Amino acid sequence: MKNPFSLEGKAILVTGASSGIGKATAIACAEAGASVVLTGRNLSRLEETLKQIEDLRLKNEDFKSEHVVIAAELCEQEEINRLVDAMPELDGAFLCAGVSDTTPVKYMNSEAIERVLSINLEAPMLLTQRMLLKKKIKKGASLVYMSSMGVEQVTPGLGIYAASKSGLNAFMRAVATEQASRMVRANAIMAGMVKTELIDTLSQLSEEDIKRDEAKYPLGYGKPEDVANAVIYLLSDASAWMTGGVIKLDGGSSLIN
Amino acid sequence: MVTGASSGIGKATAIACAEQGARVVINGRNVARLNETLRTIGDLKLDNGESHIVIPADLTIVEQRQALAEQVPELDGVVQCAGIGNRTLCKMIGEEDVREVMSPNMEAPILLQSGLLQAKKIKKGASIVFVASAAATMPAMGNALYSASKGAILSYARCLALELASRKIRVNCISPAMVWTNLALVGATEEQLREAEQNYPLKRYGQPADVANLAVYMLSEAARWMTGSNVEITGGTSKL
Repeated sequence: MKNPFSLEGKAILVTGASSGIGKATAIACAEAGASVVLTGRNLSRLEETLKQIEDLRLKNEDFKSEHVVIAAELCEQEEINRLVDAMPELDGAFLCAGVSDTTPVKYMNSEAIERVLSINLEAPMLLTQRMLLKKKIKKGASLVYMSSMGVEQVTPGLGIYAASKSGLNAFMRAVATEQASRMVRANAIMAGMVKTELIDTLSQLSEEDIKRDEAKYPLGYGKPEDVANAVIYLLSDASAWMTGGVIKLDGGSSLIN
Repeated sequence: MVTGASSGIGKATAIACAEQGARVVINGRNVARLNETLRTIGDLKLDNGESHIVIPADLTIVEQRQALAEQVPELDGVVQCAGIGNRTLCKMIGEEDVREVMSPNMEAPILLQSGLLQAKKIKKGASIVFVASAAATMPAMGNALYSASKGAILSYARCLALELASRKIRVNCISPAMVWTNLALVGATEEQLREAEQNYPLKRYGQPADVANLAVYMLSEAARWMTGSNVEITGGTSKL
């Protein structure tokens, strides 16, 4: 009896695989039996992720999967093209690469907006487009977009970030609608605060602020594995009827705020 | 425990839980069909020597509901699937229609839940799943009472999630669009449904297993950070 949550035999792309949620998901996908294409900007950290995956393989003789690292700067079209040319045909992709930003509205400028939107919204859109154009998304594939509860639970200073993720949600629904005839699914995960290096980039927040914020989560901040597990559900055949949808993971914070 | 486990989504969920290693309390009204569910699961042996159990109960009858709450073991998870469909145009809705739908779809799950909590049958860290419906937000002709009953469950579940969060008990909902079960055949023929399902982007209605798999994810430690959520699983449709 086949486990519907298995990713055996599937080739999966993970962007942002050099750290945080992307890294944890790349490892989890490999553990679930997938062959993973790891991409990100930092080659040495991607190779570190790959090494952790290979170390797992040594412990489990059954793995027949092949993993590959392709570093790429996804804000540049030529880099997107190079990545897409180099990748195998995919059964799934987790578009996770993103940055945060804490510029209050009053201090925003076009540079700040441009930076966040180009990484968080334009890059996944253009990567999706290129993969479809170059026929790298197989029939029946599953695309997962990393979004945020910030879209609905507004935190002061996260306006640009929230706007970028809100755009990504809408884009995901367009992909789901357009690609359904090929049985290609698209869904998003809206996560609350997850303990990753990205939190460290929120330089405006002190340790006090962070502690106070975590107290608003009945189940605490999330771990990268929490998101990785949801991604595996969405990439697997277990979710074959789910498209255009959203999985919200927030440790209950939206219940008390 | 899975309610409504004699057929449809409940049956598929009970089977899926057993396949993933759980010990399942199989609840519903129809003893023969519950035993059929048990027979289907039966080959899947549990390592610890325990066995799955059938506890029939009509959840709209207070004595049977209370008996169920007394008889169940302490639970790590509950999937509330029991419910009925109904097609009554708004103009024709009378008090009897309201009672007929709200009793099994809204009152019974809520009252079962309080019974289980009072009997201390929900363990710390447990996961509670309500099968609501995409009908809560997607209207369909004659579906007002059904939609209202499911909308009520969604609102109730958020409050339950808030109240149980301190004990790390998670509460989430699944909102499927049309799924191939007996309930779907209320008010439509199979032919009509086969034609209508072609309008879904993924060209099909759901199968009970589609919902069951999502329930398994929610019940498991994989979803330990999910509470207060409602996951819509719809085959891509925005129209029921």
